Amino acid sequence: MKRALTEARLLLIGIPVAIWTLLPIYHLFLFSISTKDEAFSGRLWPEHPTLRNFSIVFHQEHYFLNHFWEQLWNSLVIAVAVGFLTLFIAASAAFAISRLKTRGGRTILNFALFTYFIPAAFLAVPMYKAMGTYGLLNHQSALILAMVTIAAPYAIWVLKQASDKLPYELDEAAKIDGASPLQLFRLVYLPLMAPSLVAVGTYALLLAWNEYLYAFLLLSKDTNITLPVALGHFLSADDSPWELLMTTGLIYALPPAAIYYTFKRYMVSGLTSGAVKS
Amino acid sequence: MASVSFQNIEKTFGTTKVIHGISFDIHDGEFMVLVGPSGCGKSTLLRMLAGLEEISGGTIAIDGRAVNDVDSKDRDIAMVFQSYALYPHMTVRDNMGFSLKLRKANPAVITERVTKAAKILNLDPYLERYPRELSGGQRQRVAMGRAIVRDPKVFLFDEPLSNLDAKLRVQMRSEIKALHQRLKTTTVYVTHDQIEAMTMADRIVVMHDGRVEQIGEPLDLYDKPDNLFVAQFIGSPAMNVVNGSLRRSNGHAYVECGSVNWPIPPGPGADGQAVALGVRPEHLALAGAGRESVPGEIIVVEPTGAETELLVQVGDAQITLVTTGRPNVNPGEKVGLAIDPGAAHLFDAKSGQRLATA
Repeated sequence: MKRALTEARLLLIGIPVAIWTLLPIYHLFLFSISTKDEAFSGRLWPEHPTLRNFSIVFHQEHYFLNHFWEQLWNSLVIAVAVGFLTLFIAASAAFAISRLKTRGGRTILNFALFTYFIPAAFLAVPMYKAMGTYGLLNHQSALILAMVTIAAPYAIWVLKQASDKLPYELDEAAKIDGASPLQLFRLVYLPLMAPSLVAVGTYALLLAWNEYLYAFLLLSKDTNITLPVALGHFLSADDSPWELLMTTGLIYALPPAAIYYTFKRYMVSGLTSGAVKS
Repeated sequence: MASVSFQNIEKTFGTTKVIHGISFDIHDGEFMVLVGPSGCGKSTLLRMLAGLEEISGGTIAIDGRAVNDVDSKDRDIAMVFQSYALYPHMTVRDNMGFSLKLRKANPAVITERVTKAAKILNLDPYLERYPRELSGGQRQRVAMGRAIVRDPKVFLFDEPLSNLDAKLRVQMRSEIKALHQRLKTTTVYVTHDQIEAMTMADRIVVMHDGRVEQIGEPLDLYDKPDNLFVAQFIGSPAMNVVNGSLRRSNGHAYVECGSVNWPIPPGPGADGQAVALGVRPEHLALAGAGRESVPGEIIVVEPTGAETELLVQVGDAQITLVTTGRPNVNPGEKVGLAIDPGAAHLFDAKSGQRLATA
């Protein structure tokens, strides 16, 4: 009885939350299968659902979509690069701070986390200036470096918390077995950290995949921007092709969803592990 | 195989000194047990030998070579940890072969040595399993296997049996002992369990508060403890100790302890000296009232089958007595206790040092 009551309460909260979050996505989907005329008709289901929009996007048959595949590829390259670079930096830093107990490691970690007190939007202009100084503007590496900068502190923190939980005896056993710090890192630390690495890598990857502001600022050529920036361009016309914008948006949202569901297990355990001392 | 020598070893953590100048030698092939209560510094001493802790002062030498500044991996030692510290992502085979792999040994040699060690430890059916698929005892054996494969100069054990249940502990105890008799590798074994120390050791180092209390063969420690600490630490149930004054008159000696006079054989010590009298539970016997016994009242009777443990109130003290057989006594009964001749231990009350066997 009591269980049923708890369940009912959860449903009472769950259903509105589900509707609340799914409604915009439903509209996104609705736009993508409607013709331009029908898109704003206010119906809950179009009279003549069509896949024509997808065909237009895939065949780049619209002015705003001339570089669709290229821009999708840019997004992918940048996101994957950010994911791996963040992982490399964060795993090395977490290993040094948590396992090698490098002097001053904690201070550096705190400094890194401190950067989150300043909203990323405020850092955009200084970042733009810095990239300009190094001549990286309009080059994808600028966006990759910027996103790694943003993702790294959190990634280091999560990995540090997770590696604190690995038994210290493992390091000592490896040390006695004859492992150098680098061998310890490669042969013992990384394999054991795999779940957390997957979670943090995915986090950084999705952060870069979804980034708009920095991508918009640091990249400007049609052929090197990411898809979110290209989508932004849709709005520069008086007569925006909303149905194509939504279709592209839906397509763009699919890979993250797929990644999330693939690694869901790691995401939940990885990002929360070490959050509380057990 | 090698000897190990500790000379004036000191260890400080910050401003706290935890080990105060310890010196002793471990002979080639010896099974040496470091025993003491938690916090006595035994594990720290072992970890310094392993190279996992800095040595604050003194010299540790393995086979005559000072190793203070030598890396763990170059000390030619192998260590078994309390928590086993097996690599969870490697199979038993890889765990055991890891050190050889790091040393870039020939894969054929690795396989051969792992197989040989697995055979010694009865692990051959488990070589392809992961640590999580093994029982506690099996994991413990893998940890030992990892050490054996190395064929090191010295084996180090850091409370290896603490995580096992009582029955398995007894079994592994014999296995480790048998392994040592087979391999004859110098072994340093740390435990807080005096029974483990007594049953396994060739010699025991009893430590307390960062100092060595006594070093000796198990039965020597038992029969002739140097001081009160060793007397009470070694042996189970623990030795009875009562404080009182030593009295000598007319060739008789006794320890006056409140209203009770404990008769003891003649021996060293001055009349009127404050002493602690120690008697092991099995060196007491039930006796009638008389000049050679003390009166007491039985509080608890605990039969264990082969033996019976009695708790007896004597004056202000509660005395434990262990006797073989099954005496017909009940709680509340008045009895007399007699000390076996030559089995009383006298310690100076202030310093805790042994006077002599009275």
